Amino acid sequence: MERQWITARRTRSAIRMSVGERIFHVFNYLFFALVSWTTLFPFLNLLAKSLSSEEAVMSGSVSLFPVDIQFGTYLYVLSDSQFMRAFLVSVTIALAGTALGLLMTALAAYPLSKPRLRGRKFFILMYVFTMLFSGGLIPTYLLMQRLNLVDTLWVLFLPSMISVFNMLIIKNYFESLPEELEESAKMDGASNLTILFRITVPLSLPVFATIALFYAVGFWNDYFASMIYINTSELKPLQLYLKELLVHSNITYQDGGHVTNVDAVMNTTPQAIQAASILVATLPILLVYPFLQKYFVKGVLIGSVKG
Amino acid sequence: MARLKLDNAPRLPSPSYWRKLRGDIRKDWDLYIALLPGIAFLLLFKYTPMYGIVIAFQDFNIFSGIGDSPWVGFEHFERLFQSPKFAQVFWNTFMISVLKIVLLFPLPIVLAILLNELTKMWFKRPVQTIIYMPHFLSWVIVSGLFMDLLSVNGGLVNRIIEWMGGEPIKFFLDNSFFRWLLVSTAGWKEAGWGTIVYLAALSSIDPQLYEAAKIDGANKFKQILHITLPGLVPVILLMFILRLGSILEAGTEQILVMYNPVVYNVSDVIGTYVYRTGLGEQNYSFASAVGLFESVVGFVLIVGGNYISRRFLNRGIW
Repeated sequence: MERQWITARRTRSAIRMSVGERIFHVFNYLFFALVSWTTLFPFLNLLAKSLSSEEAVMSGSVSLFPVDIQFGTYLYVLSDSQFMRAFLVSVTIALAGTALGLLMTALAAYPLSKPRLRGRKFFILMYVFTMLFSGGLIPTYLLMQRLNLVDTLWVLFLPSMISVFNMLIIKNYFESLPEELEESAKMDGASNLTILFRITVPLSLPVFATIALFYAVGFWNDYFASMIYINTSELKPLQLYLKELLVHSNITYQDGGHVTNVDAVMNTTPQAIQAASILVATLPILLVYPFLQKYFVKGVLIGSVKG
Repeated sequence: MARLKLDNAPRLPSPSYWRKLRGDIRKDWDLYIALLPGIAFLLLFKYTPMYGIVIAFQDFNIFSGIGDSPWVGFEHFERLFQSPKFAQVFWNTFMISVLKIVLLFPLPIVLAILLNELTKMWFKRPVQTIIYMPHFLSWVIVSGLFMDLLSVNGGLVNRIIEWMGGEPIKFFLDNSFFRWLLVSTAGWKEAGWGTIVYLAALSSIDPQLYEAAKIDGANKFKQILHITLPGLVPVILLMFILRLGSILEAGTEQILVMYNPVVYNVSDVIGTYVYRTGLGEQNYSFASAVGLFESVVGFVLIVGGNYISRRFLNRGIW
């Protein structure tokens, strides 16, 4: 039966498709194969370099496959105490920031998703206004200084606990849940917060998975805040550590040996080690992201289309 | 987003209003409590820096603080608008942003329309997974990837150039290439992710429209032109207004990782300039004035863009 149906569908679509359309389809598939290849290629190249000997990398003979294969770079990176400390700082920030961010964002979104809340429009406007206008870098920096947060790990996640964009996505998702659930729980004498944590949050897991990913990636990838606020090298997260590693050594590479920057002379990390560091730093995201993809497509759609 | 109703002139709330309010708060007290951490967060981390903008009109001294620093009015803004350095920074910001808008804004729309035509799920799903991925990488990583690919010592691109008989190009140190480098890496990173919003809009177009068009003999191209594109217009407009609001934010995080003193004259933008003059040279007041200029222009563009869109196209983000 099923087979018949498939062949029936095939012949129908074959009849319907004109020659021009068929050519279009072929080119479309080829085009996206090319796009995917362009996206993946820099990674594959980097992976090959990280597994090749430094001589092979410098001579430019590595493209897709490693030359003179070795794993020493990974051993070096994983046993480098500076790298590992930066890695741990990043893990700490990402975990603490994501947990706190999810809690704060859910708490903020829940009341705003209830039309009966007094002053709801005003509070929403208060949030949205911060998306349209901000105090800017310097006043924010001076505030952190006044709060004694400069050069502490707190400054890397407290000021970005609630992303208004994420909050609105969650709010819209909450609004899309049926009201009857709340009413029946109210009958049983549940308080608002009980309903939030016992009913609404468990029903919103897809959107929370999405937002958790957004927060975690945001904290993991941030280098800007740490570049501004962190001076102590023990507190530097991975991205800042990598930035210093890459930027310093690459200025000499780019210049083909002509030194344009004094720092660059002192800091020339072998390319294979740079490549391995980049890949290790990307690994956590690459491991988590594909599993959450089905959630975030749905989550973002519900949040952004309505918003 | 709901639009605030302004047709009711403000009236003093009647006593019964307060009674109702008190009743509501008593009934939903925990709902109002849940509101507080968020509001406290906004007031402390978002609105206090907005108050801090006053230092743009002061000669701010870190030891005197905002309270005791002398007021100088618009002195910093006068200096700013006369400074040739700022003119250059403004021009760079504008150029990079316009390049990015012209070349990169339409890209996700085209990609989404084409992606929508892929019918084989075993192909479409992995393609989506792959092209969304760069969005989740930091600018440090992305610039690391491209520094590697474009390096003069064993970078693949320069090897191809040499193989074809050309001279290797120092992309990261070349004033004529650097802006293109910024635009293309930004495209590599965000174009795929940008399709999500448009794909959502595409999935909400009524399939019957396509059926009807097919019966009327419209080919694929005509269907895209007359059904798909019109269906996307509201989202395109919304995205464009939002994009307009960040026209003076030409990608500070990207540029701060990728640029270097050799290419300052083509890549120093408002954000990087604020960073260097403000935090590097501790010119707090002047840098705040530059930052305020950026914020105000962004705000005016987004509010103005929304107003024009509402007025003439009856659509807006709020």
